[in-house]
Formats: sequence, structure tokens, C-alpha cells
Amino acid sequence: MNTKKAKEGLIYLYCITDKVPKLKEIENLVDKPYFIYHQSLYAIVNKVKESEFDEENLKRNLADLEWIKAKASIHEKAIEGIMKDACVIPFKFATIFNTEDNLKAMLSQHLKEFKALLIKLEDKEEWGVKIYCNSEKLKENLIQEDEQLLNIDKEINSSAPGKAYLLKKKKEELLNIAANKKLNEYGQVSFDRLKEKPTGVRINKLLPKEVTERNDEMILNSAFLINKDKVGDFLNIVEDIRAKYTDKGLFFDCTGPWPPYNFCNPKKGKIHNG
Amino acid sequence: MDRPIKTLQDKNSYLDLQKEKRITLLEVLDRALDKGVVISGDIVISIADVDLIYLGLKVLLSSVETMERLRGTPFAGATEEPT
Repeated sequence: MNTKKAKEGLIYLYCITDKVPKLKEIENLVDKPYFIYHQSLYAIVNKVKESEFDEENLKRNLADLEWIKAKASIHEKAIEGIMKDACVIPFKFATIFNTEDNLKAMLSQHLKEFKALLIKLEDKEEWGVKIYCNSEKLKENLIQEDEQLLNIDKEINSSAPGKAYLLKKKKEELLNIAANKKLNEYGQVSFDRLKEKPTGVRINKLLPKEVTERNDEMILNSAFLINKDKVGDFLNIVEDIRAKYTDKGLFFDCTGPWPPYNFCNPKKGKIHNG
Repeated sequence: MDRPIKTLQDKNSYLDLQKEKRITLLEVLDRALDKGVVISGDIVISIADVDLIYLGLKVLLSSVETMERLRGTPFAGATEEPT
């Protein structure tokens, strides 16, 4: 905008770090990666085509799931490659600059924040835990445990059709209430255990079944920032709660280490209202 | 009465599967597209744009996955293992 556009393409920013990045790690994943050094920070970038990433084309491409899949994978792998040897600040997918000067100006503008962030993120890893609930299984278990429900069950079997119908209704209602109560309890206990070791915790919006492609419902979408020497303890805790609740209908999806995507925007704490 | 043995086995095998394919499309979208430092670069994807992607996903993701399943091939790109 302020300077002439570089004819040879746009600059795609993946992440920044304060150590000389090992580009060899990502040379087979990203097309000609390089870094821009500015005021003690290294920005890992590459050139991308205007025909793909300028404003108009980017908008069009964002409607193309295949394109997003391919490009988001490159974005992720590039940052993970650099992350092997250095503490990184990951940028959001498709952070694009017209010129090197514009990128440097951005670095200067946020220098203090970035430096503070790199200190905060040093020797830490992001891990994600998504918890899902199979409500059928949860309820099945409840019936076995709950005396009141067991009694209703017996009564239903020995009742005339009319009464049995009403009892079934009552059973359903009680079961739903009990299931909700249990789910809150399991979720809370799990979450309380999960946050024992991490230094940072973030709860994200729940994703619908259409996006998760699972039959069970997501009940917690969380991210944790953990000291590297505490990751083992954290994973043991995940195994603990997994052992405790899997038979009761919960499923724990624990992934990591991720670039610290969830811990780079202190101002963006609440994502629910996004 | 009816023991959910089948479900249990399915669950366990799915668990093993999950450990191997860490970078799923869901995870990448949930992170790279939605989080990370948001700085006004010269070109910015707005929150509305990201929401559009999710909106599109609701329809697209299921149809693509179903197709891949029918063909018996893995969902390319989405489930690649970390290298």
C-alpha cells in the first residue's frame, strides 16, 4: 500500500523466532522458505503467488475446501518443522505482506510483545484435549448404577401397558437429568485434573458433529500450555482420566505438541463470541 | 443384558488410530485457521471469512469423507502423518 508491490509475489509469514531457524527441516514441505531478520527476530516466510493469495483470489480460494486442506497442512508443517529447534510464535493461516518493508514495520511495531511472548513460551508446549461423550453409553451405565432407575425398570416390566408407558416417560426424564448431572461431574473432574500441571489453559468453542465427523458430542475443547518437563506428568493424567471414564461413555482425544496457537493472543481470551 | 462389547472394541481401535494420525483436518482448522497471532498483515482473513469456511465444511466435509470411505482410501491431506 505504501510501497510498490513486489512483482515477484507476496510474502507469506509462518512464524517468528529469536534463534536462527533451521530451514532444512522444511525445505521439502514449503516452496523456497527463507527468513527475514529484523531487530533480533527471525521471520520465517516464503513467496506466494498473487494469483492465489491476493485479496480477491484468497477470498475465492477460501471457499475451496481442497485448497484450504492443502495450504493449511503446509502452514502447519512449516511451523512444526521450525519448532523442532526453536521456540516459535505461530501466525494465523494466510498472514500475507506485500513487501518485506511492511513485514519489518509490523515486527518493529510489535517488538516488545513478541519478545515478551517468546520468553513466556520458552521451553513450553501446547497440547490439546477434546472430550467427547457418547450419551447412549453414558445412560446405559447410569441405569446400572442408579437404584431409582433400576426400580422403575422393574416396575415397567410388571405393569399394565398404560402405566408402563407413563413409567417409561418418567424414566426417560429422570435419566436425562441424571445423565446431565453425571456429564457435568465427569467433565469438571477431568478438566480440574487436566489443568493441574499446565501454566496456561484455554477453553475453546465446541465444534459441531458436522465438523468433527464423530457420532458422539464434543463436550470440551481445550488447549494447554505446559512446561516441557511436565508434559510426561500431564500425559499420565490424561491416561488416568481416560481409564476412569472411557467405560462410562467419554472419549479423550489428546494431541500435541502443537505450535502455541492458543497462547499468542492474550487479548483474545474469549473466543465464544468471536 | 446386552453388553456393549462391540462398541468397546471399536472404541479401542479408533483410539489407536488417533494416536497415529495426529494432524487431522479438524485440528489444523481448529488451530491454524482460527488461532495464532492475528496481526493486520496487508491481507487479512476476517472472522467472517473463517466462519464461512466452517459453514462450507458442514456440507463439504461430510460429503468428501463419505466419498473417500466408499472408495476405501484415506482422506488425503487431512490425515497425513507428521514427518
